[in-house]
Formats: sequence, C-alpha cells, structure tokens
Amino acid sequence: MSKPAVPLLRVKNLSVEYRSDLETVKAVNGISFFLKKSETFGLVGETGAGKTTTALTCMRLLPENTGRVTGGEIEFEGKKLLNLPESEMQKIRGERMAMIFQDPMTSLNPVMPVGEQIEEALKLHNEDNKTKDRIQKRVDEVLSMVGIPASRKCEYPHQFSGGMKQRVVIAMALVCEPALLIADEPTTALDVTIQAQIIEMIRELRERLGTAMIMITHDLGIVAQTCDNVAVMYAGKIIEMGTAEDIYLLSANHHPYTMGLFGSIPNLRTKARRLTPIPGLMPDPTNLPEGCSFSPRCFKKTSVCDEVSPGVYRNGTHRISCHLLKAENHWEAERQ
Amino acid sequence: MTQETPAAPLLETKNLKKYFKVREGWLHAVDDVSVTIAPRKTLGVVGESGCGKSTLGRTILRLLDATEGQILFKGQNILTYNRKEMREMRKKMQIIFQDPYSSIDPRMSVAEIIAEYMLIHKTCSGRTAAFQRTAELMDTVGLARRYAGAYPHELDGGRRQRIGIARALSLDPEFIVCDEPVSALDVSIQAQILNLLMDIQEDRGLTYLFITHDLSVVKHISDEIAVMYLGQCVEYASSDTLFENPMHPYTQALLSAIPEPDIAMRGKKIDIIKGEVASPIDPPAGCRFASRCRHARGVCREKAPALALREEGHLTACHLHEGGCNL
Repeated sequence: MSKPAVPLLRVKNLSVEYRSDLETVKAVNGISFFLKKSETFGLVGETGAGKTTTALTCMRLLPENTGRVTGGEIEFEGKKLLNLPESEMQKIRGERMAMIFQDPMTSLNPVMPVGEQIEEALKLHNEDNKTKDRIQKRVDEVLSMVGIPASRKCEYPHQFSGGMKQRVVIAMALVCEPALLIADEPTTALDVTIQAQIIEMIRELRERLGTAMIMITHDLGIVAQTCDNVAVMYAGKIIEMGTAEDIYLLSANHHPYTMGLFGSIPNLRTKARRLTPIPGLMPDPTNLPEGCSFSPRCFKKTSVCDEVSPGVYRNGTHRISCHLLKAENHWEAERQ
Repeated sequence: MTQETPAAPLLETKNLKKYFKVREGWLHAVDDVSVTIAPRKTLGVVGESGCGKSTLGRTILRLLDATEGQILFKGQNILTYNRKEMREMRKKMQIIFQDPYSSIDPRMSVAEIIAEYMLIHKTCSGRTAAFQRTAELMDTVGLARRYAGAYPHELDGGRRQRIGIARALSLDPEFIVCDEPVSALDVSIQAQILNLLMDIQEDRGLTYLFITHDLSVVKHISDEIAVMYLGQCVEYASSDTLFENPMHPYTQALLSAIPEPDIAMRGKKIDIIKGEVASPIDPPAGCRFASRCRHARGVCREKAPALALREEGHLTACHLHEGGCNL
C-alpha cells in the first residue's frame, strides 16, 4: 500500500495501568491505531473495555496518583505527547485537542454562567491577544453554531435542559477550533430524539470545520451512522479494527466478540424472539486470563486460545486479533 | 389461557390520572391513561424521560396514590382497597427497578435481600424454608448459590439485577412492573437479562408492564406497546403494527431517531423533531406535541385529540387521523 499522509494522531502499543496499594488494574494493554485529519474514528466496547482510559491518556488527563502509562507512545501533530512537559501539554489541550464528556450535568460548573465557561478556554488560549469584544463575539458565534441563542449566555447550567447542556459542552470544546475532538459517550445520557439532534449537529459541524473525531460509545448504531473507521475494544485490547464497512459487513470474518455484540442487540427489522448474548462477564482487569482475554466466553475457542495471546491478522484495512484467522485465506499475520 | 375467547384482562387502567402539586401549579405526570394487559402478555410503555412512564408503573402498584381513575386487577378496582387488602394484593404485583445499584440495600447479603419479602409476608413456614426457597430462586435467575452470603457491592450490575428479579419473583406474583430493568446494563449483559425475563414469563405465566426508553428493547419484548408523551398515551398498538405502520408524528420521529447498527442506513434522513419536551406543569389545552409537530394545524393548539381507534387494534391520539385520513 502507498504510504498515507502523516496521521493526525498515532497511538502505538499503548498500555495503561491503574495502581493502588491493593491491586493493579490493567486498563489498556498494548493498543495501536491512528487517525487522519477530519476522520471520525469509533471506539466501541462495553464498560471497562478501556475506551475512556485511552481517551484520557491521549488528553494526558489520567488521575495522577493511580494512572500510569506503562508503555507505548502517542504522537499528535508530530509531537510525542507522553514526554511533553505539562506547560506544553496545556497549550495542546483545549486548543488543538478537546474532549466532550459523557455527563453534561456534571461537566459544567454550576455556579458560573455558561458564556463565561466557554470564554475561559478562549482566554487561556489567547495567543493572538484577542480583545474582549472579539472574545465575546466568538462566544456568541459558537453558541449559535450549536443552536443556542446567544442571549442565553448569561444563564446558569441549571436553567438548561440535558440536551442544551450537552450543546454548551460541545460549544466549549469547539470554541478554539481543535484539530481533534474526543467525544466520550456524548449522547448516552440523552433521550433518543435529543440524541438524534446532537448527532446530526456533530456530523454537520465536523463537515463544516473539518475536525477529526474519536467517538467513544457502546452503541453500535451510533458508530454505524457516524464513523469512518472503527475499533472494537475488549479488556483493554483492540480485538477488531477496520473501516465501518469492514466491521458491519455480515459476510466478512469477524472476531467472535464482535459477533456476540451484534447478537446481543435487539434488531428492529428481524423478528427473532431470543437474543444470542455472550455468556459470562468481562474478565477481571486485575487478573486477566492467560492467552486471549476473550477465550473464557468464546464459543469457538480451541486449546491454543487459553495459552497464547493471539497476534493480529490483516486483510486489507480489516484487522482482527484472533487465532481463528490463521486458517483463513486472504488473512496474513501482521508484524508488530 | 383460553383458546378462542380473548382472555379477560389481568390489569386495566381507566382514565388514570396522577398529578403532583408543585409550586407553580399541578404537574400532570400521568394524564388520562387507559391501558389493558391480557394475562401472560407484555405491555411495553415507551417514551422519553419525563413522559410519565415510571409514574404510571408506580401508580398502578399504588406506590403512588392515583389522583383520579380506576385500576382494575382481574376486574377489581384496587384503588378502593384498604391497607390490609392492599397488603395481600402486593404479593401479586411486584416491581423490578431500573438501577440495581440503588434499589437494593447495600448492608444486606444477597440471600437476605431475596428472602426479605417472604419473611415480611410470612409466605414460608419459617426462616429455613424461606432461605431454601431463596436458593431455588437464585437458581432460577442464574445466580450461583455461592453468592448467597455476598454483599451487593461485590457483584456487577448484571448480577445485581438478577437479585432484583429474584426478589420480585419471591412472592410468586402474577404481574410485574419492569421499570427500565436493562437500561443500566451493558449490551451483552442486557441480552442475558432480557432472555431471562422472557424465559421466566413463559415458565410462570407472568404478565409484564415493561417500561423503557429503548425502542429496540421494547419491540423485542412486548406484545403491545403504548407510546407516551407528556403524561398521555399518544399511540397504542401491537408491537408489529406499531413498528410497521407508526401513525402518530411523535412515534414516527422516535422510530426515525434510532441510530441503526447497519451501514446501509447511513445516509438515512432522520426525521429530527425540533425543540424539547414542554413543561408538564399545567399544560395548555390542545395537543401536547403540537409545539414540536411539523403537521400541527390550528385545531391542534385548541383541542386535545382523543385516543381513538384508527384501524384494527391501532389507536392514536392525533387530529390528523380523524375522519379516517391517513398519513
């Protein structure tokens, strides 16, 4: 394949642990992916898969006392983020890279008018010495961009509904026109009709501003509707990755976990009365099984699965980490 | 279940209303809702937050006092029951709550939580019998017996929800209100719990009122569905009919808003409804959806549409469908 343009974000072999006196939680175990400019990348998985930890590590927002990067590197716009001093990182965070958190109710300051909260980021990243008026104008602009009348900027978060609060949070993230937006379950706390409004808005803004995005979600529907490329995470690893077409094409090869995820969602079109869930639970991240972490729940496992951690197999843009693919045509082992 | 004649409904509400007094006036949480559920069937109640679906469930169980209307359980109006009668009645009607983290007592062990209702209602001959039955219930809901002495914080959400289900089953109820029982769970666990609820229903002949905001879940589990908007039922039909031919503009918007896990649906034009739910406090006359509805006409803002039969087994409350005109 021809060498693609320099990616905006490249995560290589990243491993993250949370350490306390009692135990070590292996949250992320050697994941690699990259993101091109203005691409939307979906990170899918269930609770505890390591999606949010990955995002926090990219933002360098891991809890200081417990979170620790044990390996790998993150490169963003040519800078190695993990080695940057905090003062450098502050210039990137909020300005080049911003994050939307899941719960709009708790990510806003309740005692500060929303306009001021949006302003904060502009004032902190005010390299070109914008005047007060310019800043106010930009706040108004970004508010109307997310569909909130600028006249409401003096109101406090409690005066807004859930969907409106999420719009404010998105306005805060976009005010400095970042190159990368990380959205951590941006619509999980919202109703479907409001979710549709927000997703549509994110989609429009992305097209207009050319912002790249990492969309973290557990909802396969949202991924199908918004993402170009998708990675499925399980127990801190990416077990399947590819373009949205690769992942959603039923006839293609898939990781048994991905198949399980699709079997677990009630389908609106077919009339199956019973779902086919994945038995069991996600393994305890303080004590991951030997070999493939999914093997205790896998219906296709063989003896090798319990012993050896599977490598990555690749077919074009589609990558799967599962021993089963060794025997498949067109799939070749990828060198790490 | 009788073969030919349709079974008499197990539960019926007639013009049920529940208003809450708030500082600004009356909050119409449930406003004139009439539903019927046949034995062994599931009625799904779907709607967005604040539409009154949970209040409906709780009012039916008399956990909240109804403002007006009737609740008939096997033809008996339970609103006229006194405390003692109601206490007996509660054995037959149970509830499974949404949040398995806050609906069980963190300081009781799993076995104690499940046995509690049986001890209170004295349905077993003594503690030993109650704990024996607890063990059986744990088998039924798929909780390993070794967790009997564990405390809720040691368990994950899926297992906690199984405790909630075992506890609801402990008195052998005929009717269970499932109030968003899977909303707090991950998809793979959600599927396990949905299958469990359906198996139990079949084995024990239970009747469910299944409250949820998730349309794909409600389609999967329900025989009939009531769509609620701001305290009122706006559409009522069998599950298949509703999804094949949604008639009310709100239902249409709801269905179109679901992001489908299918790449072919990617460019799908979403019928986005503007604005947000209006306040349920002293709502204005007229259709409550009118302010967000793109078909709204003059009459919609003046007169509230009645829930009426539009076609076989399909009821809607919308002025557009009056006089048989179809969208």
